[in-house]
Amino acid sequence: MKHLSEEELIAQAYGEGDRAAVERHVEACAECATAYTALTSDLAEVKFAEPPDRDNDYGEKVWESISGSLRAYEPGTGNWLRGGLWRGLSYAAACALLVACAFIGGRLWERKQAQNTPKISAQTKQQQVAHVAQPGRVVVVILSDHLDRSERLLVELKHADGESGEMVSPLRDEARSLLAANRICRQNARPGDDPALPALLGRLDHLLQELANQPGGLNVATLTRLQKEMNADGLLFEVRVLRSRLPARQATAAGRTKGDTI
Amino acid sequence: MLRMDRDDHSAIQAVLAGDKEAYAPLVVRYSGRLFRVAFRITGNEADAEDVVQEALLRGYRKLESFESRSDFGTWIYRIAVRCALDRIGGSKVDESSRIAETTDGEQGSVQIADQAAGPERLLLSGEIGAMRDLAMRGLSPTERTAFVLRHLEDRTTEEIAAAMGIPPNTAKQSVFRAVQKLRRRLATLRVKV
Repeated sequence: MKHLSEEELIAQAYGEGDRAAVERHVEACAECATAYTALTSDLAEVKFAEPPDRDNDYGEKVWESISGSLRAYEPGTGNWLRGGLWRGLSYAAACALLVACAFIGGRLWERKQAQNTPKISAQTKQQQVAHVAQPGRVVVVILSDHLDRSERLLVELKHADGESGEMVSPLRDEARSLLAANRICRQNARPGDDPALPALLGRLDHLLQELANQPGGLNVATLTRLQKEMNADGLLFEVRVLRSRLPARQATAAGRTKGDTI
Repeated sequence: MLRMDRDDHSAIQAVLAGDKEAYAPLVVRYSGRLFRVAFRITGNEADAEDVVQEALLRGYRKLESFESRSDFGTWIYRIAVRCALDRIGGSKVDESSRIAETTDGEQGSVQIADQAAGPERLLLSGEIGAMRDLAMRGLSPTERTAFVLRHLEDRTTEEIAAAMGIPPNTAKQSVFRAVQKLRRRLATLRVKV
């Protein structure tokens, strides 16, 4: 038979542990019964001096001795600390939870986006190819600059030597370039503009088309013919007059612009 | 008891609202109870009175942390136990050395008749009381406090643990070691004639 430990006997003496089981064992085991009796006898012998009686006004005396050391609570402070502190902690916890959710959500979203990126990239590439296939450009034309360039072209045309290929080829390229700009200027002409402008741009357009698209290229005969037929000298004069009449704001680089998508 | 608890709580609310004097009824109500447990732990009247004052002061200053669901009596009792524990813990070294000088050197030399009644026994009964005190002082502060709460205050292991701020198993072991030590010390008094 396994005997009870001293710890079990002490617990039994103080009414703790498995009391019924220990009681049964003590009844059946003489050795443990002797040990238990000795223990209870010892514990009964442990006596202490009773606390001395205090006067009836002991509590008042204690209050008198400590009341001077107490500082009154500020009204509301206690309630704030009791209720507000917990409320504040609750809000803080809620905010922390919100931030944590936002963070986790952000991470998950990021991860999802990263997974979708290859698909999106492929689509984007297709779209880019489509743009390449159908390119769109925004050309900004400043009227004063256009007239400036047109004037230079007309001067070159006036002094052009059809024998020199070095001069004729740039003249044709410049005419082609000016043709597009001229079309934009015509399309964007407004009612408030100089009344002579549309007519001038129309004649300029005609001349530029001839220069740009002359079959067989430009030569002395063609240039001479165009100068006469198109009245290049008169056109040059008109361009200069119109340039001089342009408002100052259009004469500067910051002036009115003509724009279109071509 | 319920009415008293309600009174306690309303007094606490008044104190926290700025009425310092509202603490007076609580002090009057619990000073006696605190003195008894403080005396049992410290074994000294002056120390016990100091413990009572210190506990009530600490209680006042910590009143903001007192939870309204708790019982103020239990709460202030625990504070008093810890104050008493602190007090005897501070004088632990002195007590231990005094015990060593008084008892260890004379162990086995004190012989007490436990059956024969007479003037000698009556004289020696005072010595027995002194030896009991010394035996108690041979305990560590934790053991002594745990034993007092168990043996004299009739507190459960859980209540002892809560009052002392230690785990229940530590409280149980402290009581167990205290009983073992006391029994060994008291055994020296039972020398048969």
